[in-house]
Amino acid sequence: MAASLTGLLKPWTPRVLLVRWSRYNPYYLEPEPRKEVYHIPETELTPEQKEERELKSVRPIKAATNSVTSSVFNDPVLSKFVNMMMKDGDKIIAKGIITQTLENMKRKQVEKYHKAPEGKKAETECNPYAIFHQALENCKPVIGLASIQKGGKFYQVPIPLTDDRRRFLAMKWMITECRDNKHRRTLMYEKLSQELLAAFSKEGNVVKRKHELHKMAESNRAYAHYRWW
Amino acid sequence: FLHYSLSIALPPLSYLVAQVRPLHGSGCGQQQEAVGMEMRPETFSIFRTQENDPDCQSEQHQGQYYTVPPSHFHTVFPHGLPPRYQQQVKTFNEGCVMVRQPALELISHLKRADYSKPTLRYLLYGVKGSGKTMSLCHTVHYCSTQGWLVLHIPDAHLWVKNCKELLPSSYHASRFDQPIQASNWLRNFRTTNENFLSKIKLRQRYVWTKRESTEEGQPLGELVDMGVSRVKSSSDVVGAVLKELRLQAGGTEGGFRLAVAVDGVNGLWGRTTLKKEDKSPVAPEELTLVHNLRKMINNDWCGGAVIATLSQTGSLYAPSSAYLPQELLGEEGFDSMDPFIPVPVSLYSEKEFESCYLYYLDRHWLQHPHSQTEEGKKELIFLSNRNPSVLERLCAFL
Repeated sequence: MAASLTGLLKPWTPRVLLVRWSRYNPYYLEPEPRKEVYHIPETELTPEQKEERELKSVRPIKAATNSVTSSVFNDPVLSKFVNMMMKDGDKIIAKGIITQTLENMKRKQVEKYHKAPEGKKAETECNPYAIFHQALENCKPVIGLASIQKGGKFYQVPIPLTDDRRRFLAMKWMITECRDNKHRRTLMYEKLSQELLAAFSKEGNVVKRKHELHKMAESNRAYAHYRWW
Repeated sequence: FLHYSLSIALPPLSYLVAQVRPLHGSGCGQQQEAVGMEMRPETFSIFRTQENDPDCQSEQHQGQYYTVPPSHFHTVFPHGLPPRYQQQVKTFNEGCVMVRQPALELISHLKRADYSKPTLRYLLYGVKGSGKTMSLCHTVHYCSTQGWLVLHIPDAHLWVKNCKELLPSSYHASRFDQPIQASNWLRNFRTTNENFLSKIKLRQRYVWTKRESTEEGQPLGELVDMGVSRVKSSSDVVGAVLKELRLQAGGTEGGFRLAVAVDGVNGLWGRTTLKKEDKSPVAPEELTLVHNLRKMINNDWCGGAVIATLSQTGSLYAPSSAYLPQELLGEEGFDSMDPFIPVPVSLYSEKEFESCYLYYLDRHWLQHPHSQTEEGKKELIFLSNRNPSVLERLCAFL
């Protein structure tokens, strides 16, 4: 049932042990990282929650990944962005770049806030998380293109995109834009913060790329019936 | 959070009052200052104090922030502040320092010391990030407002590492000069002590080359200007300046008090990363700047005080867990500094943490919605362990 540790009692153990593998037996249950769930007193549990708790006391539970925390500051979208920025599994550097980006954005906005006249103060958005989420929203395409073969030729057909795909495209464009199309000597956090602030106010290259995709989809409207799903 | 406002026929003020700060010269976008300096309304906040003069601060102000007037910033602190703090000043558009117990203790010692006796040496020590440099800067601000001459060396480690140009000294055969560091320091020294440069007269004739010399009786300003312009002899100029100030500090006629503030004093004893041309390591004694500074830190002169800070952050060949004077100064350093008055700098107490948290809230620095709740605050305490610099870095991205 539970993973046996006797296989690990060897004269030499590798430094990095595989603790969480993706092909778990379906018998294993998912871990619950949120604190609030454990603070509900016995009396207020619904019957489903009671059943779930009883099940958890007998079944084995998967190991939680390193990126999952019970911290109130945990943000799943931001974690996904960090993973996408990561190269060669070096999450420390990727996380460091993202924290520097957030700090940089906040500094620019707070400076603008303190120097702005009274009327304009309420308009400046200082929360870097809000800016990040809004910028990502502004970069998400509504409709995408797929290459479909019909009669020997390939046509670019407009197709609907799932939410995950839209989010992935927005993040991917943001990262590639910052890596490729900026000045060589600027640091990544500076490039990212400039691009995110531009996307927040609907300017900048990433939003332009989204608009171009929309235009292409609009111009290829005639081929929409090639889609069969 | 008690925040009550005393309104004397003033329009009703909002909870977090927009305190209009006078923008100092470095801030751009001057048109926003059209509102001007409003009469500061009589509001009482837990974390701020209106007492901006370090002389009048006492234990009742502990944990509260006082504002360094913008006019003082560029004169008193051209080079002394930690880089992250300088960024913070630029972002918040004001420079606020917390009044803490080590600085208050130092200031009270300075007030009551006898300046006809040999100099007392004060040493600030503590774990990394506990606020030693900021306490030093607070004390330097006090000395500056009291009219002392302040000799502030921002980081002694900068003189023992990463030196691109190492010239053999003209004055002494076996020593080495560092022209860039010396001239930079002289420039900042000139900015800090403008008013003293014309008053202090040299007591000795200094010969630099066959054609150049500075005569007796000339003002100190000339010597400093010469050091800034003639970069090659700037290290010797620094030595001459230190010697003159040492001789004249305790003088009865036109005497001034001299404060020597050295950050990272453990860099003066130990090892350097510099190498001579034959790849052999340079000992710190072989550097002119270090040699002269060590003479300054000796207590064989009177009429001032030496305030020093230990620092592991920039130090060479010291383990990162070391913070006590014995570990960081080494035997040689400890023997030279002995006897000194140790001033421990601890992490934030609960009251100081509250004050810091409220200050960040007031300056709109804590933006994450969860950081403004009780749970977020508990998490911040847990993550930072009330360490000032760790807290600052955490709040930077929250």
